[in-house]
Amino acid sequence: MIVADRKPLAEILSFVASCRRILIVGCKGCVTVCNVGGQKEVEILAASLRMARRLAGDPLEIGEALLERQCDPEYVAELRERVSSCDTVVSMACGVGPQFLAEAFPEQRVVPALNTTFFGGAVRHGVWEERCAGCGHCVLERFDGLCPIARCSKNLLNGPCGGSANGVCEVHPDTVCIWDRIVRRKTARGRLADLKAIVPPKDWRPAGHGGPRRRVREDLTRTS
Amino acid sequence: MTDAFEPRILAYCCRYCAYAAADLAGSMRLAYPPNVRIVQVPCTGRIDALFLLRAIEAGADGVYVAGCLEGECHFLEGNLRARKRVDFVKGVLGEIGLEPERVEMFNLSSAMGPRFAEIARDMTERIRRLGPSPLRTDDASGETALGRCA
Amino acid sequence: MNRASLTGAVVVSGGGIAGIQASLDLAYAGYKVYLVERSPAIGGVMAQLDKTFPTNDCAMCIMSPKLVEVGRHPDIEILTLSEIRGIEGEPGSFRVTVEQKPRYIDLEKCIACGRCAGKCPKKVVDRFNRGLSQRRAAYVLYPQAVPLKYLIDEAECIYLQKKKCGACAKICPAGAVNFEDRARQLTLEAGAVIFSSGFEPFDPSAIDTLGYGRIPDVLTSLEFERILSASGPTRGHLKRPSDGAEPRKIAWLQCIGSRDINRSENFHCSSVCCMYAIKQAIIAKEHADPPLEGAIFYMDMRTHGKGFEDCYNQAREKHGIRFVRSRVHTVDPSPSGGGAILRYVGEDGLPSREEFDLVVLSIGLQSERPLRERLQELGIALTEGRFVRTDTFDPTATTRKGIYVCGALSGPKDIPQSVIEAEGAALRAGADLAPARHRLTSRPPVTAERDLRGEPPRVGVFVCHCGININGVVDVPAVRDYARSLPYVTYVTDNLYSCSQDTQNLIRAKIEEEGLNRVVIAACSPKTHEPLFQKTLADAGVNKYLLEFVNIRNQDSWVHMEDPPAATAKAKELLRMAVSKAVLLSPLAEEEIQILPRALVVGGGIAGMAAAKALSSQGYPVEIVEREAELGGQARFLHRTARGEEISSRLADLIREVETDPRITVHRHAELIQVEGFVGNFRSTIRQGTETKTVEHGVTFLATGAREHRPEEYLYGEDPRVITGLELDRRLRRKDPRLGELQRAVFIQCVGSREPSRPYCSRVCCTHTMISALELLDRNPQAQVVVLYRDIRTYGEREGLYLEARKRGVIFIRYDLEDKPRVRATPAGLVVEALDPILGRRIALGTDLLVLAAAVVPHESTELARFFKVPVNADGFFVEAHVKLNPAAFATEGVFLCGLAHYPKPIDESVAQAQAAAAAATVLLARGKLTAVGTTARVEPLFCSSCGVCLAVCPYQAPRFSEKGPFAGRAEINTALCKGCGLCVASCRSGAIQLQGFTDAQTIAMIEAAVSG
Repeated sequence: MIVADRKPLAEILSFVASCRRILIVGCKGCVTVCNVGGQKEVEILAASLRMARRLAGDPLEIGEALLERQCDPEYVAELRERVSSCDTVVSMACGVGPQFLAEAFPEQRVVPALNTTFFGGAVRHGVWEERCAGCGHCVLERFDGLCPIARCSKNLLNGPCGGSANGVCEVHPDTVCIWDRIVRRKTARGRLADLKAIVPPKDWRPAGHGGPRRRVREDLTRTS
Repeated sequence: MTDAFEPRILAYCCRYCAYAAADLAGSMRLAYPPNVRIVQVPCTGRIDALFLLRAIEAGADGVYVAGCLEGECHFLEGNLRARKRVDFVKGVLGEIGLEPERVEMFNLSSAMGPRFAEIARDMTERIRRLGPSPLRTDDASGETALGRCA
Repeated sequence: MNRASLTGAVVVSGGGIAGIQASLDLAYAGYKVYLVERSPAIGGVMAQLDKTFPTNDCAMCIMSPKLVEVGRHPDIEILTLSEIRGIEGEPGSFRVTVEQKPRYIDLEKCIACGRCAGKCPKKVVDRFNRGLSQRRAAYVLYPQAVPLKYLIDEAECIYLQKKKCGACAKICPAGAVNFEDRARQLTLEAGAVIFSSGFEPFDPSAIDTLGYGRIPDVLTSLEFERILSASGPTRGHLKRPSDGAEPRKIAWLQCIGSRDINRSENFHCSSVCCMYAIKQAIIAKEHADPPLEGAIFYMDMRTHGKGFEDCYNQAREKHGIRFVRSRVHTVDPSPSGGGAILRYVGEDGLPSREEFDLVVLSIGLQSERPLRERLQELGIALTEGRFVRTDTFDPTATTRKGIYVCGALSGPKDIPQSVIEAEGAALRAGADLAPARHRLTSRPPVTAERDLRGEPPRVGVFVCHCGININGVVDVPAVRDYARSLPYVTYVTDNLYSCSQDTQNLIRAKIEEEGLNRVVIAACSPKTHEPLFQKTLADAGVNKYLLEFVNIRNQDSWVHMEDPPAATAKAKELLRMAVSKAVLLSPLAEEEIQILPRALVVGGGIAGMAAAKALSSQGYPVEIVEREAELGGQARFLHRTARGEEISSRLADLIREVETDPRITVHRHAELIQVEGFVGNFRSTIRQGTETKTVEHGVTFLATGAREHRPEEYLYGEDPRVITGLELDRRLRRKDPRLGELQRAVFIQCVGSREPSRPYCSRVCCTHTMISALELLDRNPQAQVVVLYRDIRTYGEREGLYLEARKRGVIFIRYDLEDKPRVRATPAGLVVEALDPILGRRIALGTDLLVLAAAVVPHESTELARFFKVPVNADGFFVEAHVKLNPAAFATEGVFLCGLAHYPKPIDESVAQAQAAAAAATVLLARGKLTAVGTTARVEPLFCSSCGVCLAVCPYQAPRFSEKGPFAGRAEINTALCKGCGLCVASCRSGAIQLQGFTDAQTIAMIEAAVSG
């Protein structure tokens, strides 16, 4: 899922400082599953903002909505009527959400409530870790399911750097050295020799370094 | 705050420990201030952060959660989760400019009637010192869920 | 007797708390019960009590649900105004002749409106109020009576005596008066009989020096109890008889008619009077506008039960009640007219005179004199104290096979002990008749649930006075009127005791008449009475989960007594909160859990073995897990019982029976290392050496026992002449010849008990010391035995041992906690120094042997407590479900408690509690299933994101992913496993789970109702 963090309340409050009425929109997709933008988080943000504004003597009317996903125009369109009556729409989806909302409702001011961070998964309830960098050319087969592009602090493709110590990355003690893991896994499977093959420098264009990416499936688009 | 106000405090009590302790405090005829309104929950693990925030938003001067002693939760870990949620809510209150001390978590066993009374007294005193919640409205306005149903 | 001829019915004679409990246990276990009661209604003495010790719970409050349950149970037939005249036949098929006196009012027709009493001109002294008030010849025993029916007192009725009047017959709207009623003889077929006829209070008029009957302000404790009671003659106001003034100074005189071979025929101790006097003193202080002085005059303060010593300490320290160690010899009338003057000699030997406004005589309990002969005629032997004789290892069996006894009839005892024996007797009677189970019981008619869909909420509010418990502080009528203003409330009323049968009838009636589909009860705690009201709703066709209970007693009137206006305002607010939740309640369904017909007993001592036997005798297989290499627990170290029985041979018999029983499997040197599951389906792993074995069982018994404290004082462990009570028993058992050569032996009581670090009383040590002292004298009549004590607690007929010890020259010297004896070792021998309070001088006793009556200390039980999710108190003993009314079970379903692990007790009480625990377990096992709660979690699959948090978070493995259907892959909850804790609900990422009965919407509605307005 796409993982995000909620922006500090002070920042969100600054976004809506001059508003009278806002609509907070959550998303039942990734942000629900990482407990940052689902039904409950929308309610909590609404209550927090309402209280903060009441304390400031400047009440704010807040509507709450929850879309199946904010990354599909069909779902976004459901909000048309509600959106027109508010000053600002606050999106609690990943970065895609506010943009789709802004595109669907160009006259409407849309602001994000989240800082979108990474693609990852829950290692246990309450803890999510990055797993994928969206590099556009997946090499997981080569590394037996452990991704050095997402999980190596230096994106190295040909073995650990000198900073790997006791299986931990020198950049942060909480970061596992993924190369240590890759080497151990390969060894355990008797395939350490695989790593002798040198991986050439990565073409980063599919990773977005060459501009925003696009994907088209011709067989699904309309003919005209 | 120098003018005497009467704190309005909500207490979420777990059925097995805190609610039973409250009953015991009654059987023992211990006195505590009448400012506390008890809401029974099967386990403090049931408590959503939202309950605490909505209580403050509705105008409660203080809210506390009372559950089993740590390690003795009737449902094993509910009280531990409740504590974390209380801490989260304290953080939110801090972020919006309210005193985090308005929300608290207490632990006690069903045999601790006197402790229940003591908690009620201590919390009432604490809130009295903090003063009324800035979000408190003393008039009878404000839609309630009941009103919305009608 | 062959199985086919067994009658699946039991006659219970005596409808007090013991008889009521026995009847319920038998009925639940599948037997028909005839509850024979001499008076017009059941309830016994407990119905006359205001409060019960040690919790000061209101007696009617805790008994009412049981009364109502008995009155309502289809398999219990109550025969009032009835007595057993004869029992013929064999165990298993008795023919019991019962004589039933005429009621003169038809039970079927009487609606208890009370008009007959209103019209009746004849005033009669009211025995229920102990003569303190009057009733009419047409009357009801008390307002919450079960059955709630009136009757006519034949001896006092003008029509029945002189053929004049008859006003009641004319005024009765139901035509229920029947002057032609005659006594009836009934013959009941039953497989067993249980006698629970209770006690007769001692009549102190025989002791002229006390002034009872002459001096108006000298009352018995029962009379005072009626004065304290909210439904008594003074409505709970403290008034003294002479002038109605409020007493400022009250004295209680202990041991009236007990421990008194001079002025009564009772040598025994009545066991309960010390505690009830303390209770009355504390309650009286509560009832009175301060200050009220209370003084208790006593010989020994006998607070030997669980929680009692704490109560005694509180009475002294917190309530300021004076305790005067002296037996008052004379009560004189006061010259001022009211009150009385006590004349007594203090411990200093000086005579004193003290005036009191009111004197309460703590009268003792004895068996009823007319009953004694009749019991003996029936083949039931009595003890020296003229109570029904039983055996230590079978404490509810009488000397006639098939006939059992429980409660005060077999010896004075308090309510918890009576309830335990009642359950034990029910177990024994039921076990005799196991093949005939369910043969004579009826299938209860289940009222079909009304379909409420489409109905707007119609809320009925019932506000309870609870006597004066609520209304004394909270303005109940104001709360009731406030309720009318709340949205959706269509009916309100207030009741004196909402838990009584008459109010249950009212609620049913109003549900039907007013079309109520939600009920809000504002009363005591839901923990006491929720099931009662839920049942009333179900009987009225309304789903039982459409009930909301508001606690305006334990959590309002009782804790805000200083501030009635605030208490009233709080009650209104709590009511408003409850109504806003009630409106959002939905009907809920209940799952059934199958109960595996197998038990696990942890602990192979007397209690564990007795429980195992009790279950096996009914056909249920049992596993015993014993930590030691052999069975027997502490009994292995004991010598003799208080009745003189030799323990080791009886223990050997018991062990042999257990070991040869084909249904009992014993695991020795074994421990539980893991427990999973819950009632009906436990999975316990036992480790024996290096092997582990997993056992599946439906119910569990914790009988882990206790051990003797190792003293750290009095040179114990430093000098071989200082030993503990159990060490002495070992020497006695081995017939150690040195014991016959003793010149002197000194005992010190309360070693390690009743001290700040261990504040409870170990209950058994005083009796044990008497037994040992007498044994020493048997071996060497020339020896001198001295006992240093704080209070001698030889309760019940054990007092006989104390009496005998004194007769045979044992010297008793009292010491205080603040001035404990000191022990020195010299080459010549030990020297024990203490202050003799009678001499007023310090004495030094040389002695050959010093025996320390060491405390009984429970075994470490934290892990077991965690395995089965049961509580342990600060002293280390397990905490039972309810101190008075459920002393052999835990609040956790399916787990039961017996023996020393509950509290120190002698063998007969351990056996009784084991049988009581087995009786409670039998109810589950006999039914084969348990109905789960309806307040389980529910997933709304449309919101579920299948993240799996609920599965990870649930302690009971209740959530799982649905495997088929339109929502395959989404979470669903196994309602049979769900305990309704709500953890998954609060953890659900999508807000997809709701806890039925505690939904977000309901809770938020309560919050907003609480804080708004």
